[in-house]
Order: sequence, then structure tokens, then C-alpha cells
Amino acid sequence: MVFFEQLIHILYFVMAGLIAVSLFKSFFRRKKNNGIVFDIMYAYCLIPFILRILYIK
Amino acid sequence: MSMTMATFILLLVMIATFILSSIKLKSPDISMVVAAVVLAIAGLIAFPDLGSPVRYLVEGLFVNLDLAMLFIAASIFVNIYSNSGAVSTITRGLVKKVKNKWILMSVLGLLMLIPGALTGAGSVSIFVLGGLVNTVLAYLGISKKKRTVFIFFFAILSAAAPPINLWTMLMTAQANMPYVGFTWLLLIPILIAGAFAIIFIGYGAKPSTTENILDELPPETEGMTWWRIVIPVATIVGLFLLALWAPWDIPVLGLPLMFVIAAIVAMLCNPKKTSAKGYLSILDDTMEQVFPLVANVLSIGVLQSAMAATGVRGLIGSTFVGLPLILIYCLIIVIGPITQGCFNYGCSVVLGGPLIFMFNTLGMDVTVVCAALSLIFPMGDCLPPSRIVGRLACEETKYTESYLGFLKTALLPMIVLGIMAVIMIVKPASFAFLY
Repeated sequence: MVFFEQLIHILYFVMAGLIAVSLFKSFFRRKKNNGIVFDIMYAYCLIPFILRILYIK
Repeated sequence: MSMTMATFILLLVMIATFILSSIKLKSPDISMVVAAVVLAIAGLIAFPDLGSPVRYLVEGLFVNLDLAMLFIAASIFVNIYSNSGAVSTITRGLVKKVKNKWILMSVLGLLMLIPGALTGAGSVSIFVLGGLVNTVLAYLGISKKKRTVFIFFFAILSAAAPPINLWTMLMTAQANMPYVGFTWLLLIPILIAGAFAIIFIGYGAKPSTTENILDELPPETEGMTWWRIVIPVATIVGLFLLALWAPWDIPVLGLPLMFVIAAIVAMLCNPKKTSAKGYLSILDDTMEQVFPLVANVLSIGVLQSAMAATGVRGLIGSTFVGLPLILIYCLIIVIGPITQGCFNYGCSVVLGGPLIFMFNTLGMDVTVVCAALSLIFPMGDCLPPSRIVGRLACEETKYTESYLGFLKTALLPMIVLGIMAVIMIVKPASFAFLY
């Protein structure tokens, strides 16, 4: 059980990483028609996913 | 200046900032963050001991992170599943087998209740079945606005349906009540309101002939078999049920991981030969599609956190509970959904908990009251600033007309549900036989 819980913890870490990468890609894909509002939204949406990656014990 | 007055001024500052920002920036999501930042700074001026506003603004980003992860994972599953052609095959099968409009709508309504009932989130019902329901209803001759109302209304009913009703769970947890006896108290009003919604939405709609409908639907996918359709859905339902019935025997997976597992199963069951690059482009498209919603739930979290830290949230809850009983009866059907629109599930903490304690001191049957309140709160899922389920329903049907028009159409079924809930609150002892 402990092994599986550790595995799930790592899987969520990987998932947060993939989402952050995907958000980055999405940001640059639509960069041309982004307004400043969308740029700011992308920036603060990335914060929790990046912090989630950094905070792995 | 008293603390209550200072907090009330903070509330006014927050509302004014939100309105001005919405007018200037034309984005409710970023307006919520701007309002939260201004509220945090104003709160620091009013109460210097509050501590760093940066801390609770960043904490706010994590309030709804689980919801954001769920939306992303569920969207990935649904898009991969749809890409395999399973949804169009199911739609064709349903249209061929069920000829009667009312039976077909009832089947769709009951199907929509299942995912939300098992997960506690109405948004999951929309992600899993919204596309299918929208397609079938379109061929039944139902207008886009009414289709949006159908999907929205059954999504909120599914969130309130047993076995998982998060509002009830949060209220019972606060009041040290056991989470038992709610099944029929919730299910009977939900089925009555659902039946009313089906009649209201389906009345006057003229369906096309079965042949015409089948001609307009996408063709059946080559190699698509019944087990390829069933296995991905059975995987997600099986994982829901395992988490529900064997919580001590399996590790806590969490809904996002369940959807990722189901997405992998859907990839394995896909009869189309799709390359890794093809799946990668599905993932990128999904992120584009779901980003506005992710931004929305994260923005709400920031605002909720700022409101909680500055005392604005508590002011709203304590003011309402302090009203005379007759006013509570009259206003709960309005204030309950508005609070849900502001705080999402937090409304059962802000309003629900204090109300349960208040009704308990009056000697009323709080199990019935608790069930009734958890039928009222979900109706706020279409109200700003959050309007999570309402917005999802609009995106699912690509409804781009006036949002107010959608709300007006949704009002009648919601009033029916609300009246039943208010009767349960006023006369709780009369419904005690249901548990």
C-alpha cells in the first residue's frame, strides 16, 4: 500500500509537470493573438503547477 | 470604526473593483484576481496584523487546483474517447433503438445523473456525457438554449444526487452529524425536478425522422465493437465504485488520476491507428479548450482566499444567519445560489453550517434541512462570478447568445426544485419518513 501511495504521489508530480509544459506550449501557440490579459492569466495559472512540481518530498 | 463596519467597507471595495475591472478588462477571470489583490491590500491597510497578502493570494491558487486538474484530466479522457469514434457510435445506437422522444430524453437525463452522483461534481457529468446528450437533443429538434439548460440542469442535479453530495458532506462534517439517511431525501426531489425539466424542455420540440437523423450523424467507425465502447467507460465507473465501496483496500487515486487511467484504456481500445504525435496534438488541443476554465477556477480560488483572510466571507455568512426566521425562509432560495456562485462548495461552510446549528437550536429535523439546503446550493452553479457548470454547459453546446437568456430559460425548472427545497426547510418533520 505504501509503495502504491508513493507511486500515486509521483504520478501526480509527473501530471503537474506535463500540464505545466502543455500550458507553456499553448501560451506560445496562441502568442500572436494574445492580449495582455491572456498573458497574465497564463502566468498565474502556471504558478500552482510549477509550485506543485517544486514541492515534492 | 468597528470591525464589522471596516469589513463591510472592504466588501464594497471588492465589489467596486470587480465591476470596474470587468468593464475595463472584459474578462471576469482576471477581474476576480484584480479584485482579490485590491481587497488584500485594502485588508492590510484596515487590519495591519493580517500578514503578507502575497501568502494568501498564492494559497488561493491552490484552493481549486484539484478542480483544475480534474477538468484537464477529464477533458483528455473525453477527447481521446471521442476521437476513437465511440461517442458517435453510441449516439447512432441510441437513435436507432429508442424511437420515443420522451423516453429518449428520460434515458439521457438518468444517464447524466450517474457520473455526477458518483463523483459529486456536476462538471464530470458534462465532460463524460455532455457531447452525446447535446448531439441527440439537437436531432430531437430542441433549440440550442434549451439544450444548454437540459445539460446544465441535469449536471447540477447529478452533483446533488446521492451517494456523493459534497454540500451535504461538508455540512454534516461541520455539525458532527452522520452522513446517513439522505438517499431518498435527495433522490425524490431530484427525480421530480428532472421529470419537470424534461417536460418543460421537450414540449413543442419536433424531432427529425430516424433516417434523417442517422444521415446527419457521423458514420460508424470501422472496427468499433461494443467492448471497445464499454471498456473505457466501465474503467472509470469501476474506479469510482471501488473508491466508494472499498476505500480501505485501495490507495487513494483521486479523480484526475482515475480519468488518466481511463484515458490510457481508451487509447488501448481505439480501433483507429493513431500515432503518438496524433495523441500529442489531442493533448495540446485539450489544453487550449480547457484553459479558460482552468483560469476561471484558479481565479475564484484567489478571490475566495482573499475574502476568507479579510473577514468578508464571514461577514456575509453571519449577517444572513442573524436575520429573522421568516426572512431566512424567503431569502434562502436567492441567497443560497448567490453564495454558491461566489464560493462554490464554500457556501456550505459559510451559510450551511451556521444554518444547521440555528435550525438545530429551534428543534427542527436537521437531516431534512441539510438535504434541502444541498438542493438549493447547486442552483448557483450558473451564477457569476464562478458559474462553473453554467459556463461548461454553454461551451458544450457552443451557446454564444445572451447568458441572461440562458438563465431566464433555466429559471423555471430551478424554481420547481427551489420550492420543493423550501417546503422541506419550513416543514422538515413532514419529510422525516423518507429516512
